Amino acid sequence: MATVSLTVNGQRVSAEVEGRTLLVQLLREHLRLTGTHVGCDTSQCGCCTVHLDGKGVKSCTVLAASCEGATVTTIEGLAPEGKLHPMQEAFREHHALQCGFCTPGMIMSAVDMVRRKGNDLDEHTVREQLEGNLCRCTGYHNIVKAIQAGAAAMKRKA
Amino acid sequence: MSHAARSTRIGEPVRRREDHRLITGAGRFSDDVTLPGQAYAVMLRSPHAHARIRAIDSRNALALPGVIAVLTGADLRSDGLKPIPYNPFTLHPADIRMSNSDGSPPFVAPCYSMAVDRARYVGEIVAVVIAQTTPIAKDAAEAVDVDYEVLPAVTRTVAAAQPDAPRLWDDASSNVCLDADVGAKDATAAAFARAAHVVKIETWIQRVTGVPMEPRAAVGEYDAATQRYTLHAGSGGAVRLKTDLAKILGVPAKNVRVLMDDVGGNFGTRGMIYPEFALVPWAARRAGRPVKWTCERHESFLSDFQGRDLAVTAELALDAQGTFLALRGSNIGNSGGHPGSFTPLQKGVEIMSSLYRMPAAHFRARSVVSNTAPTRPYRSSGRPEVMYVMERLIDLAASEFGFDRVELRRRNLLKQGELPYTNPFGMIYDSGDYHDAMEKALKLGDWAGFPARRTEARRRGRRRGIGIANYVDTATGAPRERAEITVHPDGRVDLVIGTISNGQGHETSFAQLVNEWLGVPIDNVRLITGDTDIVKVGGGTHSGRSMRMGSVVIWNSAREIIAKGTRIAARLLESDPSTLRFENGRFRVEGADRSASLFEVAAAAAQLGDLPEDLRGPLAAFSDETFNIASFPYGCHVCEVEIDPELGTLEIARYSAVDDVGRAVNPMIIHGQVHGGIAQGVGQALMEQCYYDPGTGQLLTASFMDYSMPRADNFPFFSTEITEVPCTTHPLGMRPAGEGGTTPALGVFINAVVDALADYGVRHVEMPATPERIWRAIRDARAAPPAGRAR
Repeated sequence: MATVSLTVNGQRVSAEVEGRTLLVQLLREHLRLTGTHVGCDTSQCGCCTVHLDGKGVKSCTVLAASCEGATVTTIEGLAPEGKLHPMQEAFREHHALQCGFCTPGMIMSAVDMVRRKGNDLDEHTVREQLEGNLCRCTGYHNIVKAIQAGAAAMKRKA
Repeated sequence: MSHAARSTRIGEPVRRREDHRLITGAGRFSDDVTLPGQAYAVMLRSPHAHARIRAIDSRNALALPGVIAVLTGADLRSDGLKPIPYNPFTLHPADIRMSNSDGSPPFVAPCYSMAVDRARYVGEIVAVVIAQTTPIAKDAAEAVDVDYEVLPAVTRTVAAAQPDAPRLWDDASSNVCLDADVGAKDATAAAFARAAHVVKIETWIQRVTGVPMEPRAAVGEYDAATQRYTLHAGSGGAVRLKTDLAKILGVPAKNVRVLMDDVGGNFGTRGMIYPEFALVPWAARRAGRPVKWTCERHESFLSDFQGRDLAVTAELALDAQGTFLALRGSNIGNSGGHPGSFTPLQKGVEIMSSLYRMPAAHFRARSVVSNTAPTRPYRSSGRPEVMYVMERLIDLAASEFGFDRVELRRRNLLKQGELPYTNPFGMIYDSGDYHDAMEKALKLGDWAGFPARRTEARRRGRRRGIGIANYVDTATGAPRERAEITVHPDGRVDLVIGTISNGQGHETSFAQLVNEWLGVPIDNVRLITGDTDIVKVGGGTHSGRSMRMGSVVIWNSAREIIAKGTRIAARLLESDPSTLRFENGRFRVEGADRSASLFEVAAAAAQLGDLPEDLRGPLAAFSDETFNIASFPYGCHVCEVEIDPELGTLEIARYSAVDDVGRAVNPMIIHGQVHGGIAQGVGQALMEQCYYDPGTGQLLTASFMDYSMPRADNFPFFSTEITEVPCTTHPLGMRPAGEGGTTPALGVFINAVVDALADYGVRHVEMPATPERIWRAIRDARAAPPAGRAR
C-alpha cells in the first residue's frame, strides 16, 4: 500500500492505495465520486474520462499511485457548485443523452476536444475525435450537435 | 435540434428533467450503491462451451486470506433454490399461439441460476466466490479447481437443428425445442403453383448483443430478523424482477424488495431476470452481510442475454404484374444454452408479410438450443429480422423480374381504406397511412435526385447505392400496467407506475401528461418507479409498452382525480358539482368568480371531516388496466451508401426515416429514440456480430477490442420525421416509438449496399456487411462468368 496525495476538483485529498489500484477506483471507491463510470475493461468506451493535469485521460488506464501531486477534474468538478459548464448545458439542450451512463465521459472528452481542436468544430472533426467514447442510446446524432454547440458556447463565455 | 418548447404539455419538445443529475455526475446507477460491510462476489464462469462438471474443489480458494465462501451448484440445490421462472412464450394474448405441429409439448428444461451438473455455454456460472474485496475474489476464483469433462459443442443455428448435432439436453430427442407450423399450408402451395415469378432468399440474421453502456451490477442484502431480501439492481422492470426473484429464492413475494434508480440502457438486454440477481441476495444470506457484484465488460459479452440469430429460408410468389400471391419458408431461432424465450421467433413470424397485401402465407418456425449464451428479445424483438427478409425479397424480385422496386412496393402496400387488415398469420393491423409514410420517406431521402448523386460518386471512383424499406412493428409485451396519482396539499404530485425508464425520459414525458391533464407544473411531479415496496404492479419497459400503456393508466387516474376533486370542490365552493369545470389546475364555478386549485382541494380532502367515505383522506386515484390489443407502429426508411470498390469500405451518405407514432408526447425524445434505434439496426447490418468459433464454441468477440461497436464516425446526421396518424385502438391515439428506428434498418441498409454493387452483378450481401465481405462480393462477382452475373 502506498499513500497518494492529489488535488481532485480543487480539494487536496490523500488515500491509501494498492499498486494495482486504478485512478478510476480511487475516484469512485475511495472518494465516492461516482459520476465517473466504468463501462469496459479495455479502455475503449471512454465512460471514465477525466481531466488529469488539464488533459483528458481514461482513468481506467492510469494507476492511482502515479497521480502523486496531480490535479484531477471529474464531472462533479467541471463547473462551480450550482452552475453548469457550457458543455453540460449543451448536452441537456440538445438531448445528447438518454440513459446518461456514457454522458460524464462524453462531456469530459468533449471539453478536452475543445482544448485540442478549438471552438469551431465541424461535424467530421467531432465524429473522428469521438473515437474513444461509446454511446449505445443516441446514435451519436445529438451528441455531435451538442459538442459543436457547446464548443461555440465555451468561446462566448471565455 | 427541436425548437424550444412553448409549454410543458403533450406535443412539446420539453428538455428532460432527469438530465441535470446525469450531466453533473449525480446519477445513481447500480454500481454506485455501496452498503456498509459489504462483501464482493466474483462469478467463476465455464471456460468450455459444453462440459460435464465432475467435481469442484474449493479448498485452495478458501485457504486464501479474505475469502468468505465459494458457492457451487450443489449448494444452490441443497439450499432449495428454484429454477428461474422464464416464460418462453410472450405474455400478450394478441401474439400468435405456437405449438409443435406434431402435437407434442415444446421442450423446456429447468434453468438454474448456476450450472448444476453441466455447463452449456462459455460464460455459464459454475461457482460464486465471495471475499472481502473484488481482487481477492478474483484471485480465489482462479484457485477453484473444477474437474470438467469436455463435451462436443454446437453453436450455429442450422447445425444445431440437425438430428446428429451434439445434444444439449439428454432428455430431449433433439436440440429443436419447438417446431411449429403457422399460416395456411395448402392455400400457400396453391398460390405458388400458379405464380408467374418466385424469388427466394436464404439468409442468417446473425447473433448480436445489446451492449447497454452500464454493465450489470447487483447488491444483495438479507435481513435475518424480518427474513427479507433486498436487491439493488438495474432492470427493465422492478415488479417482475421481484416476483421472479421470490420464486427462485422460494419465499413469498413480500419477503423481497427490489430497488433501482438510474438504469444505463436496456434494449431488451435487461428485460428478464439474470442468474446473478438471484445469486447475490442468496450469497448475502449465506455470508451474513451485503454482497456486491459488478459485471466486467468481457463478462457482459459472455453472459448478457444476446439477440437475433435467426436462420431463414423464404420464398415470395408474384403474378406477372408483380402482385404478391403468397409467402412461405422456414425460420429457425437460436435460443442459446437454455430454451428460455421463443418470443423473438414468435413475434417475427407473425408479421412475416409486413405491411403488404399477402393472400396466403405459411412458415415452419423452429427454435433450437445451442452452446451459446441465451438469447432474449433485443430491441424490436424478432421484427427487424423478418422486415429485412421481406424487404430483401422485394428488391430481389424487382431486380430478377424487371420491376421497379418502388412501384412494386406501391402496388402491394396496404391502402388506408383496407384497414383494419388481418394478415395471413392472423395479426390485425388497426390503422395508419402506409403509403403516405413511404411517399414522405422517398421525398425526405430525395429518391428522385439519387441518379445524379450516383453519377457524381462514380466520377470519384465510388459506387453509390440507395435502398428503401417499409416496416410494421408489433407492440405487445406484458399486458398489465398500473398507475397511482396522489395530489399533496403542498403542491406536489406523486405518480407511481410499474414501468421504469432505462433512458427513455419518463420523468419528463409522464410529467407532461400530468401537466396536460391536471395542470400541475412538471417540476412538481415526482415519478416513483424503482421501489417494489411502493410499486406493486406493472410490466416494465419493453415492446413499446411504457407510454402506450402508461398514458392510459395515467389518464384514467387523472380523470378520477378530477371527478373526486370536483365533488370536494363543490363542497368547498358551495356549488353543485355539475356547475364546476376543471381547467389549468383549478376547479371553477361556471358563471361565477369562484375557484379552488387542485392543491386546495387536496388540502380540503384531508381536512374536511364530513366528506363521504370515498373522498376522505389523500386526494389519490389509481388505474390498473390489462391491454389485450397489440399496437402496430409503422414507417419507411431510406438509406444511401457509398462504397470504395477497391477497399470494400463503406460510408453511409444519407439516412432518412419517417416513423408514425400516432400522437407524439415529446417529439424531442422520440427523435432521439429513432436516432438510437437506427444506429442499433445499422450497427447490426454494418459491423456487429457475436462470433462463436464453430469448433470450440469460444466467443471470439468478448471485448470492445473484438466486438465491433458503432462509433460516431460510422454515421451521418439522420433525417427523421415523425408522422401522427391517430391509432384507432388506443384511447389517446398513440403508437409506440422506441423500436421503429431499428425495425427497418437492417433491410434498408442491405438494400442500399446491394444496390451500390448491382452493376457488378452482386445479388446479395450477408450481414454484417463488413469491408471484407463487400470486397469479396465484388471480387467474386467480377470473377463470375457473364451468365452467372445475370442473377
